Amino acid sequence: MNTKTRKLLSLIVTALPVLALPAWADPSAVEAKKIVVPFQLLLSNHMVVTAKLNGKGPYRLIFDLGAPVTLLSNRAAEGSGAVAENAPRAFLMGMRGEAEVAKLEIGDLTAKKVPVVVFDHPTLKLLSDFLGRPLDGIVGYTFFARYKTSIDYKAKRMTFEPSNNEVKNLVRDLEARLTGPKIAKHRMLAPEGFWGMKVGDPTGGVASAGVPITTVWPDTPAAAAGIKEGDILTALDGRWTASVADVYAASTAVPAGRTVDVVVLRDGKELTLTVTPRAGL
Amino acid sequence: MNRRLVWFGLLLTLSGLAPDDPKQDREVGRSYQVPYRLTNTNHFLVRVRINGKGPFNFLVDTGAPALFIATETAEKIGLKPSPKEFWTPVDRIDFEGGAHLGKLNARVEDPFQLVGMNALGLPGASIDGILGFTVLARFRLEIDPTRDRMTWTRLDFEPRDILIPKTPDGAQAAPKGQALNALGLVAKVAAVALGKEPEEQLHPRGFLGIELTEKDGEVCVLRVLPGSPAAKGGVKNGAHLIEVRGKTIKNATDALSAVAGIRPGESLTLAFSDGKDRFELNLTAGEGL
Repeated sequence: MNTKTRKLLSLIVTALPVLALPAWADPSAVEAKKIVVPFQLLLSNHMVVTAKLNGKGPYRLIFDLGAPVTLLSNRAAEGSGAVAENAPRAFLMGMRGEAEVAKLEIGDLTAKKVPVVVFDHPTLKLLSDFLGRPLDGIVGYTFFARYKTSIDYKAKRMTFEPSNNEVKNLVRDLEARLTGPKIAKHRMLAPEGFWGMKVGDPTGGVASAGVPITTVWPDTPAAAAGIKEGDILTALDGRWTASVADVYAASTAVPAGRTVDVVVLRDGKELTLTVTPRAGL
Repeated sequence: MNRRLVWFGLLLTLSGLAPDDPKQDREVGRSYQVPYRLTNTNHFLVRVRINGKGPFNFLVDTGAPALFIATETAEKIGLKPSPKEFWTPVDRIDFEGGAHLGKLNARVEDPFQLVGMNALGLPGASIDGILGFTVLARFRLEIDPTRDRMTWTRLDFEPRDILIPKTPDGAQAAPKGQALNALGLVAKVAAVALGKEPEEQLHPRGFLGIELTEKDGEVCVLRVLPGSPAAKGGVKNGAHLIEVRGKTIKNATDALSAVAGIRPGESLTLAFSDGKDRFELNLTAGEGL
């Protein structure tokens, strides 16, 4: 990789927040219990919340479940003191890189030490120009992954409840991907319970509803549930079984003794059966 | 720039309410557990079937204004976007976990965040489309990052499509620029440098056909399935399982973890006791669960 590319890349990558800071594990970093936050729906169908950054503001931020990071415009980042006004800018969209907002308040909710990326997102600029009011950033995964989040578009409000979720370190992943070998990872799908059946590959490509049951052994949990050879298994424990791997993946979450629904197609009819796998190999 | 803004303004002008589908009224208030996966780019993916075809991986993105279907995905489904219409109608969309929606407009397009994210390379999955506002707003969404499923509860709310202006000859043109491209820029930029990684390979574990029971602090063979690898290898009911692949077995969980990495076709050694003598058997794992 040449120096220029590496420079650009390190800028991009370091622009993504480091998440696994000790402060994240500290429950006191999140001070609220189940808090309701109203939002405004823009004409562009984006949710906007009003936030104070380090006690400054209010700033208007888009709440975006599809954003992997939290992002601030240069205006908001400077105004709130998240970056110094004389901090250097990169040629690309005035990118300032990684910063941290010590205190992010949305309504009654206070989040501390929120990592942010600072740059002027072109779509935000476009939206701001059109709406005639500035939009100062995007609230993304690095914020909402701290909470159990609920969004109700009809009531135009969100609810946040603190969660002990460990927020994934995107930076480390990206760096590992960059430097690591480009070989396929292998993952074993090991059933946690003993079912007593075999499944075969689906036929019909994207039109296929599920996988055929090719064997059911007598006196097993599968037989006791009424699963029959020739059934098409379409769901296991609420997960679709469109491939053999899907069946095994779903079974990894069903230990012996837990009763789950399975859905099969038999003679064109859908049947929901209950299975309680036992212990076995 | 001005022209782009005009486009954008027109785009944002909302059309009338979508007609209510009376069949969906019964759905209001129903809750579904929707399995999802969090990608290593911190994006949420859920699986969908469109017009009964699938499953496909779709991104949950409140920053996108509509339902986007990648062109390749649309081909697999058999959707034929008209060159004159901006939207392509979809009869039905099913979400893993049981939720579904009736008639809906989709945009068949490859928004840049899809191209970028697929270039990033996600384990075992490409992204086939985006679930944006017109889909997501019909549900109350609850996301608990410590669980592997979201809760979607159907709302009595019909979000409106963005209005796409017609050109003088009556065709709906695709808007240029960023108007419909949502906010996924960071992933895209990074993707350019990273390139695509091979997809993750998934392997079902091999099967032996032994039902186990724990009795007096020992693990016993309760049943050997006829014709199974265990039956072929000579495992007998009632034997005590003491070792699997050199690991001492004290309970059923030990046995499970000892075989967790075994693939169908692989051989392994199990040690049993019949009460006084220890004996070893070699088994070749088969398929099943």
